[in-house]
Amino acid sequence: MNLDALTDCLTSASCLVTQTTSGLIIGMLLFLVAAGLTLIFGVLKVVNFTHGSFYMLGAYFALTVNGLTDSYFLAVLAAAAGVGLFALVFERFFMSKVYGSNVLMQLLVCYAFILILDDAVKIIWGPEFKSMGMATVFQRPPIFFAGGIVPVFYLFLIIVTLIISVALGLIITRTRFGTVVRAAAVNPSMVSALGINTGLVYSGVFVLGGMLAGLAGGLAAPVRSLTAGMGFSVLIESFIVTVIGGMGSIPGALLGSVLIGLVRSFGSIGFPLFVEGLMFMLMAIILILKPSGLLGKEG
Amino acid sequence: MLSARPNLARDVAIAAAVLVILLLLPYVWPSKMINDLVIRVSAFALFATSLNLLVGYTGMVSFGHGMFFGFGAYAFGLSMQRLGVSIPVAFLITIVSSALLGLVVGAISIRLKDIYFSFITLAFQMLLYSTVIAWVPLTGGDQGLMGGIPRPPFLGIDLSIESHRYAFAVTVMVVGLLILRQIVESPFGYTLRMIRDNTERATFLGINVFRAKLTAFMIAGVFGAIGGMVMALFVSGAYPEFVNWTMSGEGIFMIMLGGFSTFIGPAAGALILSVLNDVITRGTEHHGLFLGAVILLFALGLRKGVTDFVADWFRVRREAASRTGS
Amino acid sequence: MARKRVDLDRRTVLKGAAAGAAATIFAPNIVAAQNKVIRIGMPTILSGRVAQLGTSSRNAIQMEVEKINAAGGLAGRQIEMVIRDSKGQPQEAARVSRELVNSDGCEILLDAEASSGSFAVQEVAKDLGVLVMHTNSETSSLTADPKIRIPLAFRSCRQGIHDAVVSGAYAAEIAKAKKFNRWGTCSPDYAYGRDNTQLFVEYLKHFYPQAEVTTEAWPKLFQPDYTEVITRVLQNKPQALYSALWGGDLTSWVDQANIYALFSQMEVFAINMADYTVLTAVKNLPKGIHSATRYIKTYPKTKANAEWGDAYRARFKEYPTNWSWENWVGIHFIAEAAKKANSADGKKIAEAMRGLKIDCPFGADGTVTMRAEDQTVIGYAIGWGTTISGEPYVPEVTGANWDTILKLEAEWKKRNNYT
Repeated sequence: MNLDALTDCLTSASCLVTQTTSGLIIGMLLFLVAAGLTLIFGVLKVVNFTHGSFYMLGAYFALTVNGLTDSYFLAVLAAAAGVGLFALVFERFFMSKVYGSNVLMQLLVCYAFILILDDAVKIIWGPEFKSMGMATVFQRPPIFFAGGIVPVFYLFLIIVTLIISVALGLIITRTRFGTVVRAAAVNPSMVSALGINTGLVYSGVFVLGGMLAGLAGGLAAPVRSLTAGMGFSVLIESFIVTVIGGMGSIPGALLGSVLIGLVRSFGSIGFPLFVEGLMFMLMAIILILKPSGLLGKEG
Repeated sequence: MLSARPNLARDVAIAAAVLVILLLLPYVWPSKMINDLVIRVSAFALFATSLNLLVGYTGMVSFGHGMFFGFGAYAFGLSMQRLGVSIPVAFLITIVSSALLGLVVGAISIRLKDIYFSFITLAFQMLLYSTVIAWVPLTGGDQGLMGGIPRPPFLGIDLSIESHRYAFAVTVMVVGLLILRQIVESPFGYTLRMIRDNTERATFLGINVFRAKLTAFMIAGVFGAIGGMVMALFVSGAYPEFVNWTMSGEGIFMIMLGGFSTFIGPAAGALILSVLNDVITRGTEHHGLFLGAVILLFALGLRKGVTDFVADWFRVRREAASRTGS
Repeated sequence: MARKRVDLDRRTVLKGAAAGAAATIFAPNIVAAQNKVIRIGMPTILSGRVAQLGTSSRNAIQMEVEKINAAGGLAGRQIEMVIRDSKGQPQEAARVSRELVNSDGCEILLDAEASSGSFAVQEVAKDLGVLVMHTNSETSSLTADPKIRIPLAFRSCRQGIHDAVVSGAYAAEIAKAKKFNRWGTCSPDYAYGRDNTQLFVEYLKHFYPQAEVTTEAWPKLFQPDYTEVITRVLQNKPQALYSALWGGDLTSWVDQANIYALFSQMEVFAINMADYTVLTAVKNLPKGIHSATRYIKTYPKTKANAEWGDAYRARFKEYPTNWSWENWVGIHFIAEAAKKANSADGKKIAEAMRGLKIDCPFGADGTVTMRAEDQTVIGYAIGWGTTISGEPYVPEVTGANWDTILKLEAEWKKRNNYT
């Protein structure tokens, strides 16, 4: 524990700027993954434990397409599309079979897929870790900002994620698809009574969630090392985020992600060896005080 | 209420028979691999059955039960390594301390309902895991307890001898399951079932639901810890993996594979999962692919645990017979 | 004598293991020790994030066992390797090792586990009384601590204390020259990372007492996002930074630190950088990172080393890793000891191995020795140099002085009551 270092940082402008931006950086990428997770839970009441594997697939798809086309942007699009497609197959042929079952049966299906996908990735891409490399457009010195440092690539990521979250919000609140999705979350039988194919709605939500996770994987790929099992830590963190923010609430996921990002960022100064523990403590505290999460609905 | 007496006699008879069979097994079918398998399954059977006390009988889905398994392993290991006590005393320490852990964690967690209960048990488990990893001077951190767990002889039993270790493990399992069976078939057990099926009715009948759930949680914790202790004896150590969420996950899978609506389901699931794991890892390095495929077959094909499947099959046959016959 | 090939590719092991699995499930008592074959069990990690540890160990063993078998095997008995995956979990490593000995008839264990697994396997070897050669575990206490040491356990790989003396000496030279008094550390928070870093700091200060650690960062092993760790180090502005990160972690850390321009603000000493997998994976490798030699085919600068590296690469389509050469040493010590004892019996091999010196392409002077007092290898090549982003990756290597290492190691053991 190093509380002196923590208070020093909180009273220094440059430290505050750097750590806050670093918290934002961590949070934004986390948000993309968590948004998909919370969306799927909100509408389908299913905890998609395979979500981390979606992220991993996104990173690998991006790696391959980047290798073929030398274009980061194409790679990211391919990641989103590829994982969206995979999510569709996963949902239609596997998850939908266990919608009515016990949550534990769903957990079992997801776990089976995690095992299979980790091995599949190892077989197709090889056991050693892979690296994608940064697009040349981002290979420039970082920006200095009130004494703090912000890399250009991360600035780009923050902006992109903000745009995506705004777009997501608009889709959910302004489009017909979004209205149907929100209705199906609250009253699925009514929605199907109105003649809408709820099966399609569910698939659509899964695809959207999958695309978000794949997008996150592709976007982050230049600064990650790709290996089987890389989705695991992302899964745990996005899980914590959704619990803290409120399962089913996208604004909650945003708030939760930023919160976790800041906890990591400042926590690593004050409590360098217990950052993980801090996050779980936060999760426990929220669960005790307001189980439905910061922005989740009661009951 | 059903009288406990006839069931007790029957259960003891079954337990004795099983124990005799297991004790004779190494002589009938000498294979060190089978012995090792039985010892591991003994540890996991206790763990999974204790978890099912919560999941199957009380409807409390705990995602963090691994914390007791790991806690039991570390508590026992540390008592033997640091305190230099005898094995029965370390056993006692493990039981008491895990009951306390169950009390503290349960008192906080049980106030939450449904999925939130699951999440908070997971959070508590990961807190314990983070502590175990971080508290290196005490637990050895990510290396676990190194140097082996001493096994001083007691009451003429010497656990450094393999045959004694085997006999001890299966005896602890059989006796532990017998006790759990009595708890589950007792009036308290039926109270838990009622809480699972209709909590409101239970409250109206004057049952202190919170206290009942907490008691169940503590009992489950203690027996989970005993499972951990058996494992620690077997590997002569304790590792952070025992406290990790993957252990909780394995407990859940054992219950799902074996069946959660029969008493013996979780133990069957422990056996199935262990055998699957051993066979697959011996046969291929792509064990994820094969294990995952097998699990999918269970989850999507059978749709229920093996013993549930069998029990349902018998029930359907009985119902058909009673409809046509007599 | 006609060359007898023992095909060790995966299919054969799979077939054999499948048959073995069937036999052991349905029939008791598998009789493994046929007259001509001696089975050596090899628990290792073949899946998950550290899969390369196992695959590169296996590759090296495959290549070398073929040579050893062609030359007569172990005292006339052909070696058959039985390789199992422990998935990186210590209790699985224990289970797998027990199975290898109890059910698969392995008479010797070649433990290619990482450090946490190696302690578990040590317990199994102690219980079952078999010879075990640890080939990948770098934690010094495995052989240094008399409470953990056992007569039948040996280690063929580098260890923390040796590396620390060399790293400390090298870094201190540079610190002295450039007046680097402010140091930072950034290492993974687990036993290897902590021990390695703590020992480095101890010996840095031993050789250059003015050095001071002004910031420590401890990311978790396999942590994907190092942002908070990097910014924290940058805040503190040390003159030099030491890191024990390795493999994929090191690669992504370098990528992330690069976009923060960390490398232009401090001199970085990353002990695990000069590993071909990392060197080829990092796309924008900054110049001038100091690193120890893990496996590099140009140091020792001998034909034997270069040829071995090329042969490995030609066969497996990738360069050897640090684990590859350590397994070479392990299996060759066993082979040479068996020759000396003219026996394939574990205990006789152990006796012959104590104090044995063998020729080795990776030895500092062309040989390595299995020290008798604690049964661990000494005399292997260690050096430090700065990296460039193309072959030969580390053009100049400053080799280590083993006299210094051994002297300081002896003092360290005394300080820790290991004697």
